[in-house]
Amino acid sequence: MIWHIIRKEILENFLSLRFILSLLLIISLFAASGFVFVDEYSQQLQDYWKKTNKNLSGLSEQSSQLCELAFYKQRIFRKPKTLTLCAEGFEKSLPNCFEFDAFKADLPQIKGQTNFTVPHFSDIDWVFVISLVLSFVALVFAYDSICGEKELGTLRLMLAGSIPRHKILLGKYFGTMLMLGIPLLIGLLVNLIIVVSSEDIVVDGDVWLKIFTIILLSFLYLSIFVLLGLFISSRTAHSANCMVILLLLWVGLVILIPSFGRIISDASYDMPTQAELERMKAEADDQIGQNASNGKYGPYASSFNPDLDSPHANPPARARYDNALADAENRITEGHHNQMLAQASVGRNFTCISPAVIYQRAGETIAGTGLNHCVNLYRQIRQYQTDLKEYIRSKDSEDPESLHLLSPFKYAVRSWKTISHKAVDFDTVPKFRERGIALGQSLKLAVWDIGLLILFNLLFFAGAFVSFLRYDVR
Amino acid sequence: MVWKIAKKEFLLNLMTFKFAVGAIVCVVLTAVFMPVLVSDYQERLKQYNDAFAANEAELRKVKVYKNITPTIYRCPNVLSVFSEGLEKRLGYSAKIELDNIPELSAVSTGINPYLSIYPVLDVSLVFKIVMSVLALLVAYDVIAGERERGTLKLVLSGTVARYQVLAGKFLAGLATLVIPLTMAFIVGVLIFEFFPLVDLAGSDWVRIGLMYLASLIFLSAMYNVGLLFSCLAKRSTISLVLGLFVWIVYVIVIPNGSGYLARKIRPLEPEERLESELELVAEKRDSELQRMNKEIPSGWAGSHAGGAFNRNYIFVCDKRGLEYWKKSSVLKEPVRIKYADKFLEVKQKHLRNLFKQKYLANNFSRTSPISLFENIMSALAGTDLARAQYFMDRVRMHRNRVVDYIRSKTADFSSLSYFTRSKEGDWEEHNKILEPRRVATNEAERKRVWDAFYKWKDKKIAETLALDLQDFPQFIYQPSVARSFSRTIPDLALLVFISVLFFVLSFVAFMRYDVRSD
Repeated sequence: MIWHIIRKEILENFLSLRFILSLLLIISLFAASGFVFVDEYSQQLQDYWKKTNKNLSGLSEQSSQLCELAFYKQRIFRKPKTLTLCAEGFEKSLPNCFEFDAFKADLPQIKGQTNFTVPHFSDIDWVFVISLVLSFVALVFAYDSICGEKELGTLRLMLAGSIPRHKILLGKYFGTMLMLGIPLLIGLLVNLIIVVSSEDIVVDGDVWLKIFTIILLSFLYLSIFVLLGLFISSRTAHSANCMVILLLLWVGLVILIPSFGRIISDASYDMPTQAELERMKAEADDQIGQNASNGKYGPYASSFNPDLDSPHANPPARARYDNALADAENRITEGHHNQMLAQASVGRNFTCISPAVIYQRAGETIAGTGLNHCVNLYRQIRQYQTDLKEYIRSKDSEDPESLHLLSPFKYAVRSWKTISHKAVDFDTVPKFRERGIALGQSLKLAVWDIGLLILFNLLFFAGAFVSFLRYDVR
Repeated sequence: MVWKIAKKEFLLNLMTFKFAVGAIVCVVLTAVFMPVLVSDYQERLKQYNDAFAANEAELRKVKVYKNITPTIYRCPNVLSVFSEGLEKRLGYSAKIELDNIPELSAVSTGINPYLSIYPVLDVSLVFKIVMSVLALLVAYDVIAGERERGTLKLVLSGTVARYQVLAGKFLAGLATLVIPLTMAFIVGVLIFEFFPLVDLAGSDWVRIGLMYLASLIFLSAMYNVGLLFSCLAKRSTISLVLGLFVWIVYVIVIPNGSGYLARKIRPLEPEERLESELELVAEKRDSELQRMNKEIPSGWAGSHAGGAFNRNYIFVCDKRGLEYWKKSSVLKEPVRIKYADKFLEVKQKHLRNLFKQKYLANNFSRTSPISLFENIMSALAGTDLARAQYFMDRVRMHRNRVVDYIRSKTADFSSLSYFTRSKEGDWEEHNKILEPRRVATNEAERKRVWDAFYKWKDKKIAETLALDLQDFPQFIYQPSVARSFSRTIPDLALLVFISVLFFVLSFVAFMRYDVRSD
């Protein structure tokens, strides 16, 4: 019987204006999204390789001396991802450049051409089209499914037969989901055809799996809005009233609540200003300076005399002192960076009452873009930094002329030779290569969001079910 | 007759569910948004006040003219609560220096870049999203709905002309929408009054009044969009669906698409080009400065002291030092000033490209009444680009006045007070105190000498009075309402045009409308 109802729903909607309009709108949006992506992605990839090669050639120049390799400020850029097609995650306005050498890492920066006078809009990616436009279309499809039939008088006719109410509800639900699925799948197909047929873009197995997961996630998200539509539709007597309530709920859930994120983030963390950060660093330096004069690192730790034979030159003490300084600075920078990330995510945690926020975050997590991309990259860079230091240590130990003291103080290293000055084979130098996250791991990260999406589904389904059971069909 | 129809329609609208819910939502949202936004503004104002006070305090500590490098802070705009515009995206401060002229820049330091994942939140969001939906909801069934109920043919069977019906409906719709709008504005302004630290100047009230009028025009435009579909469609549901799809295009597709189109048509130059051009100018300047070194006597002895604005100045120096710094200032400072203009030229060339792209995006987005409304609101609130440029113009004028001031006070950098306050005999005294360290035999003795020196230095620094900057030029920045308003005229006119156009189209459609119900 459910199939009968589904069939009826589909046939009824198939030629309706709303279906045709949404089909046109959604297909054109997905097509536009595909073209925009192909165009921008190849440009981004070109830029990325240019910058990465520049960094590598710089690194190879420095490999003529091991110590110079340690002090070379590498510039690593965020690699553009194929999956920004699905969830761009505002990557254009997030920090994209990470500068570091073997001893110190700076705060990530935003480099490249951005127009700060234009308010930044999100790219037309899948998550954008689905979370904003399709969720709206879902409500337009669902708003009159119960109360509309009541107004037409067909609902009581239907119930006069032997069909139980839950079957009608399920039939309506699946019918609407199918009606929504048709424009969505056609749109996605058009989009993927455009993307796959472009030469620059390689879509491999893992990416396909992720794309598939995001599509499933999208259905889960849209189902929330269909169920919400059914719920409100079976709570109201007139379809016009139902539309009003749904529209306002949609505006609240999809547009207003997500906008509160920034204010919540601003209010929940008191971030230190640049000057305060500098002061913290200066205080830490002072403390270490004091420790040095108290002899914590050994005699003459803070003094520097280029002449090794001078009685005031104590390379091990100086190295301990300089490492303490660099460590303190790194600690402050990293602490600040972590705090910034925490601040950025707190707004989203609090606006999780909106399915749109959850869906956006889950989409980004699966795609490995947005904030997660930055976090992941930063972690990899820190790991790489340790590897590079380890490499320098091991190469340095092979040189008998070196003092074998890894010190971040350039002058000491140059004039005391605390690190080897010998050339190294560039092929053996570790190079940074960004790795993506595997699907399993990103699913693990997104498990809370998926759970929340399911919870919303269950909640609205229960609401719709109970309301429809008690619905006065007259 | 128009009035009668308008009155009937208005009274009917007031009783509808959609009106009740819409009005309540508008008021509640404003009541939720305002306190959050005003306290955010208050926080920014506090930061501004602290920074301003710190800057003034530094200015009072200035001991040599060279150290005068104050920072001008942009006062947070109280009306950014209504429309945020570029308020939080542009830099908050501009440093006044001889060798650099400030230009507009993105906010960089002290702001968490990861926060850009969030959309903008201001009160105009309530107006442009919720109110425009409400306008469509009020309008979608005015004609098609009456036809369905069969009342339209009754009305038209009398002596009423069709244009009268339409005009009556328009007036009634506007009157209906005015109520939630007015309530939202009143609630908003009342909440302002609860924050004692925030006070609205007279001009702010005028601006709020103008915003109210602009919102009214915007609502009438959105209402007429709904009216047109109501006159085109036979059934009210179809009219609603059409109206909502157009709304989605206005709210989401056009603003996002126009940004993309502008990026495509006018791509920006890579940032590296700006950097390399700036480097080129810097190299030229440095080589010019280098050449001057030949004319400046080298080799001098002296000591620095920390001064205002975190800059050092010459505390004492020998005769050669005086000559060195004097000559160096007289020769080099004019060159630095000259090159500051060149740096500015390069930066402005780059900025012009950004502006061109922005204007193009703006022009594309003008097809959407919602973008027009956004432009108008930000111009009235004073958070648009033109206001930021005006601020920068003022800052540059101030900088020129400061440069002229320093020039006139130091006779074109030739006066010693430009770089030092050391008096005759100071250097000899300095040497006398430090002399014993040369003959000191152990560490303790040497330390004693240095202690004595630092004591003397501290005393000397304390004795040196700060410069008398009574006649230091004041920064003048008075944005005027008239200028803001004149900037909104094109957008306002376009909005009025759209409103009229949709009304005329509705009129044409209604003239040919088949009023018989099925």
